Amino acid sequence: MINRQTFSTLRARILLSYFLFLTLLVMVTFYVVQSTTYEHSTGQLVAHAQASANVVKDKVISRSNALQESLNTVSKDFSFKQLMVGSIEDKISLKVALQNYQRRNDADIAWVLDDKRNVLAATTTNETKILRINGQDFTHRDIQLLYIEEQFYLIKAAPVKYVESSRNINGWLIMGIDTRRLITPELVDLTDMDVTLLQLGAHHTVIGTTLSSSLTNQLITLPVKKEAGLHPFDKPLHQYLYFADMFAQWKGTPIHILLSTHEDKAYVSYNSLLVQLIAILAIAGFMASAAAMFLSNGVLSPITKLVVVANKIRQGKYVSRFPTSSTLEVASLSSAISAMQEGIKSREEEIQYLAYNDSLTQLPNRNHFYKYLKEQISKSSKPLAVMMLDLDRFKDINDTVGHEIGDTLLQDIANRLKAAAYPGVFIAHIGGDEFGIIVDDIEGQNPNNIAKNFSSLFERPFQIQQLTLDVDVSIGVAAYPEDADSAYGLMQCADIALYSCKGLHYAIAQYKPELNKHSVQRLNLMSELRGALALGQLSLYYQPKLSIKEGRITTVECLIRWIHPVHGFVPPDEFIPLAEQTGAIREVTHWVLKEAFKQQKIWKEQGYQIGIAVNISAVDLVDMTLPTYVAELMSEYEANGDALTLEVTESAVMSEPESALKALNTLQRMGIALSIDDFGTGYSSMAQLKKMPVDELKIDKAFVLDLANNEDDQVMVRTLIALAQNLGLNTVAEGVEDNQSLSLLTDMGCTKAQGFHLSRPLPAKDFTDWLEEYENKEPA
Amino acid sequence: MMKNFLAVLTLLSVSVCQAGTLKVKLVDNQALLLTNAVVFLESETLKNSYDGEEIAIMDQVNRQFSPYILAVQKGQRVSFPNSDSIKHHVYSFSRPKVFELELFKNRRAQSMLFDKSGVVELGCNIHDWMLGYIYVVDTPYFAQTNADGIVSIDAPDGDYTLRVWHPRIQDQDIEKKRPVTLTGDKEVTITLSETLAPGKDEFGTDADEFSDYD
Repeated sequence: MINRQTFSTLRARILLSYFLFLTLLVMVTFYVVQSTTYEHSTGQLVAHAQASANVVKDKVISRSNALQESLNTVSKDFSFKQLMVGSIEDKISLKVALQNYQRRNDADIAWVLDDKRNVLAATTTNETKILRINGQDFTHRDIQLLYIEEQFYLIKAAPVKYVESSRNINGWLIMGIDTRRLITPELVDLTDMDVTLLQLGAHHTVIGTTLSSSLTNQLITLPVKKEAGLHPFDKPLHQYLYFADMFAQWKGTPIHILLSTHEDKAYVSYNSLLVQLIAILAIAGFMASAAAMFLSNGVLSPITKLVVVANKIRQGKYVSRFPTSSTLEVASLSSAISAMQEGIKSREEEIQYLAYNDSLTQLPNRNHFYKYLKEQISKSSKPLAVMMLDLDRFKDINDTVGHEIGDTLLQDIANRLKAAAYPGVFIAHIGGDEFGIIVDDIEGQNPNNIAKNFSSLFERPFQIQQLTLDVDVSIGVAAYPEDADSAYGLMQCADIALYSCKGLHYAIAQYKPELNKHSVQRLNLMSELRGALALGQLSLYYQPKLSIKEGRITTVECLIRWIHPVHGFVPPDEFIPLAEQTGAIREVTHWVLKEAFKQQKIWKEQGYQIGIAVNISAVDLVDMTLPTYVAELMSEYEANGDALTLEVTESAVMSEPESALKALNTLQRMGIALSIDDFGTGYSSMAQLKKMPVDELKIDKAFVLDLANNEDDQVMVRTLIALAQNLGLNTVAEGVEDNQSLSLLTDMGCTKAQGFHLSRPLPAKDFTDWLEEYENKEPA
Repeated sequence: MMKNFLAVLTLLSVSVCQAGTLKVKLVDNQALLLTNAVVFLESETLKNSYDGEEIAIMDQVNRQFSPYILAVQKGQRVSFPNSDSIKHHVYSFSRPKVFELELFKNRRAQSMLFDKSGVVELGCNIHDWMLGYIYVVDTPYFAQTNADGIVSIDAPDGDYTLRVWHPRIQDQDIEKKRPVTLTGDKEVTITLSETLAPGKDEFGTDADEFSDYD
């Protein structure tokens, strides 16, 4: 891995390819030069050997010519002719004279023949037969040899004419030189090679040589190639090269001359050239490599610097100086990185702005708020106030007048808050309909008063597109350093205070540690709700609904109760909204329906025909599995469709009217009665209501509780009942607490009544008892 | 020439009645005429030596032997006068007569007797180009061919062996002889089977190199 990484750098690649190229170049150069030089050297050597052979031959020929000249002179000598003529009587004089001439010419043998080839005199005693040669054969310019007494001689002959101008030849003067003496050390100096004369055969006959006797003995048995050119000997003389040439003929067999040398000596100039070549190539290679290193560094060091710069940019550090380079590509890369940094910088600023500002209101966002708060705390320990401001029922406003106006409203609120801000006040749009306010340095001020100042901003209504909107706000206040010493803690405290506002319907709430406990408990409850279902901590309470016309209990509303083993009774108002948020409400609703059907069956078996009414939330309406589940339960408990009433709040239907309508239609087709809960408190659209497949309206207890004494309520309830009757709907009055109210409702034509006047919600067993008692009492 | 002429006269005077003239023409195979060739008639009965007083002359003229070829009868004397202004060293190693006349000039040398028949090759030890021949015949009937290659020999009638000699006649023809019966005049043409060897003149022009010294 390390290797691969090493070789993947640009420098390594440049250098590697450079080295490969260089190596190739050097190898090719070396090969070409070496082979050419070798060829040249060999050619030179061959030429040298050829020249040497010629020199040797020339030497021998000039020696023989000198001998010939000398013989020609002697043969013309009158005294010699006289001795020759006189040899018939005086042989010894001729012989002694012959010896003298032989010495003069540095020859080794001499003799005289007459015109009949008879030996007149000779310096050797034997072999007279061999001496009887045809003198004419030994007068040519080339080399003639004769083998006499185990020895080769270079032979020259001169004709003797008693009268020079005569045509007749009267005899021959012949002399010979021992061939061994022809091959002299002088030739080695002259040719720089060893010279050998030999007659080739299975065992060569060495006629003369400058080689040492041991080499000569080895050479005798080695084969010799006669072709022109340099050849190595076979082993053991394979280190010796030789060149063979024709030297002379003897009795038709050729005599060869061999020029030989040791290969080291032969190629000494070639070898030194080779060493020089290697040295030159090594130096060239080294210099080229250095140049490559220098070049690659020139390109790469700015790149390495750029890498450092890019890494700095990655770490978020901005670089003001970029490396410069004379290389155009590197320079443009450098300026591209510089431009990239500019781009990153501007985009970062944009992102920063988006990250810390709300695009709708142009106010700092939650992150900014948190950061600012954190900075303020770390900067000084002076007390400050953190406020969370929330619009009451903003969702309803949004739903009713549309998101566009909702957004405009938020912008107007933001502007109003900004206008009211003074130095030391930081305003942020936390999200949705929630705003955050930080007021610095509140030494000696009551945070509550400050909050009041802000809430008073909302006393004036907002004018948006001819609409006048009255907006109520809740403000949760937390103070530093009393409530928390961290930004997060303070925000949480303010949030908790805000929630407590909502629960208690106060406009302003200051954080108290107890609130925190409560909120923590709420969170715990949520996690425990699912477990509670399984553990049986949930139960159903039943509150009777009186059919006024019939005067009997026809329906019960099934109300969920959570008796927590630690906290005791947990009101549905607390956990149902949470369950809606987490989605656990579906399981709760399913459980309630099943329990209700189960109880209804029990009552049925006991002889009471009682319809059940179950509350379902907006989430349940959107959940398209609900009708299927209800159908399953009905068939399981053999219940009729009219035995079940589903109660839905106005707001639940209105939040998603399309899908709600679809679900409601499906349920109605199953024969299930549908009821609008808390009717009169929301912003129900009459047009929507008309389309709804509902069967009854439940008049909110707010209008009924004080019905007997409040005439306004009486007008309202009467109107509502009339409206329902006109739409063909039944009415149920909630919160009937006295007989007087019940009478009034009876008069008004209300269909059903529900409330403490009849009974508060009761557990199943208690309800059965109550019902039995009520039915017994009724007739009486 | 004079002595040839005298010899011929002598021969003619000896046999007046029963005599004839043999005319011989000598050509080689190229139809070239051969001058100065010695032509002679041999007979077993004619082996007597020369009995005249005449001394033949082999002179040295202009650094050459003159005549080139001198034919003499066995037993005749020959003298070697030197007509040149320079010295000569005339010698012969030929078997019929070995002699040496050391450096001499303007001197009438004593004549020498040539008493064996055969070719005597003459040279000069200090002038290699000089070559001359004295051909010693064993008969009184001999003559040398003229410029036309023709020779006439007067001899008594009888049976002879006709022979020719010339240094240019090569090996094959050197012993050329033919029997001839002479009754009165007769003409014979001898044709050589070989081309003639190069003549003396064709050996070169060495002689002329020294002409400036005269």
